[in-house]
Amino acid sequence: MNHRDRVLAALAREIPDRCPMQISFTPEFAARLRGDLVARGLLSDPAVVLNVDGNRAGEHNPHGGGNTYELERALDEDILLTSVGWANGYYQEDSEYVDEWGVGWRSQAYETRFGTGRYTEMVGHPLADDAAIASYVPPDPNRESLYVDSGRVIRDFGDEYFIVGATVTTIWETAWALRGYERLLIDMVTEPELTDAVLEFPFQYHMAAAERLTRMGVDMLWTGDDIGSQRGMLFSPATWRRFYKPRMAELIARVKAINPALKVAYHTDGDVRDVLPELAEIGIDVLNPVQPACMDPAWLKREYGDRLLFWGSVDEQHTLPFGSPADVRDEIRLRLDTIGRGGGLILGPHITSSWTPRSRTCGR
Amino acid sequence: MADLSALTAAIEVGDRATAVRVTSEAVAEEMDPRTILDAMISAMDIVGARFQRNEIFVPEMLISARAMKEATAVLAPVLVAAGVRPEHTAVIGTIRGDLHDIGKNLVAMMWRGANFEVVDLGTNVGPEAFVTAAREHGAVIVGVSALLTTTMVAMKEVVAAIRAANLGDVKVIVGGAPVTAEFAAAIGADAYAPDAATAVEVAKTAIGVA
Repeated sequence: MNHRDRVLAALAREIPDRCPMQISFTPEFAARLRGDLVARGLLSDPAVVLNVDGNRAGEHNPHGGGNTYELERALDEDILLTSVGWANGYYQEDSEYVDEWGVGWRSQAYETRFGTGRYTEMVGHPLADDAAIASYVPPDPNRESLYVDSGRVIRDFGDEYFIVGATVTTIWETAWALRGYERLLIDMVTEPELTDAVLEFPFQYHMAAAERLTRMGVDMLWTGDDIGSQRGMLFSPATWRRFYKPRMAELIARVKAINPALKVAYHTDGDVRDVLPELAEIGIDVLNPVQPACMDPAWLKREYGDRLLFWGSVDEQHTLPFGSPADVRDEIRLRLDTIGRGGGLILGPHITSSWTPRSRTCGR
Repeated sequence: MADLSALTAAIEVGDRATAVRVTSEAVAEEMDPRTILDAMISAMDIVGARFQRNEIFVPEMLISARAMKEATAVLAPVLVAAGVRPEHTAVIGTIRGDLHDIGKNLVAMMWRGANFEVVDLGTNVGPEAFVTAAREHGAVIVGVSALLTTTMVAMKEVVAAIRAANLGDVKVIVGGAPVTAEFAAAIGADAYAPDAATAVEVAKTAIGVA
């Protein structure tokens, strides 16, 4: 089976030759991993990353945009990501910067026993002021330059690999980056019209990008927003229904009208069991990343295995950072036996960071 | 006669205009400020319990806390004049290297709602800053929050620094999405708060006023 057929089989609820796998990395982890693979003779030389729309040369993009994929291919992953949209703003610089949406970012260092990592946090919100909303002009999703890299990926790897077009941070994430986190949480329950106005900016952008990527021929579209917390939804199901469900339903309907065979994945951290039936109802095919500390993967399979497929399920809060290689193997076996039983699973964590020893990822 | 049940109800639903209006009326009538404050505290009790049962969510918590904050601002001068002040002070912050604050902010709101004095140090706070603030404000509680697996390990240093500073009976309470009761015990924290609603009970129990 080639990589693409393997994923297609799993998503058709057939049993592939092995469970398909996808893992993203923070830039620092990718650099360490690349060095390790070069030392083992599994990579010929450190890859030079194509620069696309500001992506840093040589830096791995966890969402896919700009990557050369030597790393993913050396690890025998089955899925290649290609991203368009606001999420490409993560990890741009080691200092403060402002992205093309006007969102201000700060890079924050953290120490691990394997070295220093950095994550980027949004600190400047261009729509913090109510008066800024009416005159705000978002970036243009129709620029040809945004899709050059995706075209390359589909052309060079589309026969052999399962290509996922990523338009994550589809609505809520980008919107709160524009407006402010607590601000938009409050707006949703006090200012519905203002909220609609803010949400339309990322929604229209990412929907246009999603349609374009679908027309170009991606196998799956990866959408999503972090609507769950460790112990429940971040905001109420009723709030989700008012603002996000109809928008996501429209986006999904449009891309599936272009390609009825397209799969649509929805990313959300946390415990979102309250809206799972409705995610399935609006046409979400695949749930990602299935944070196991929040929703039990075995329970998900029992309750939703007929309605949803799953991408993820490997724990990166406890197992990957703090467990032993044996713990990782045990967890993988458990997932294959439960949420992966009979197919329907793409295995992986969400994004592996500097805290994780390289050996955990290689299963050694 | 100002209707304090309307004040409680207003805070419960995040109606800041009504909360401020009723508080102003009550103050104008020279009602005992402690009674007015109690009406606000019981509102936040109810809000916290609903949040814990997943009946309301973060937005609802935020607007209730905002209503209480604005109503408290009206009441504050009267409380000060009457010599009524919070009995206990807590210092709170997000640990060094971590910029996330929604959870920490919710705990701060709930602690204030329970009539603790809360000194909020913000985010990216090192152990020394927790110690300095605890000493300066006579805090009996130090609350430390983390969202990242990568940053929570530094909580151990806060515990060590607090113990080494010999500040008296200061309780360290830790929380945040990646934090567990086991981790809290392993680093020698005094208590673990799984969420903002429980954090009030945890704080009161820790200092023996539950």
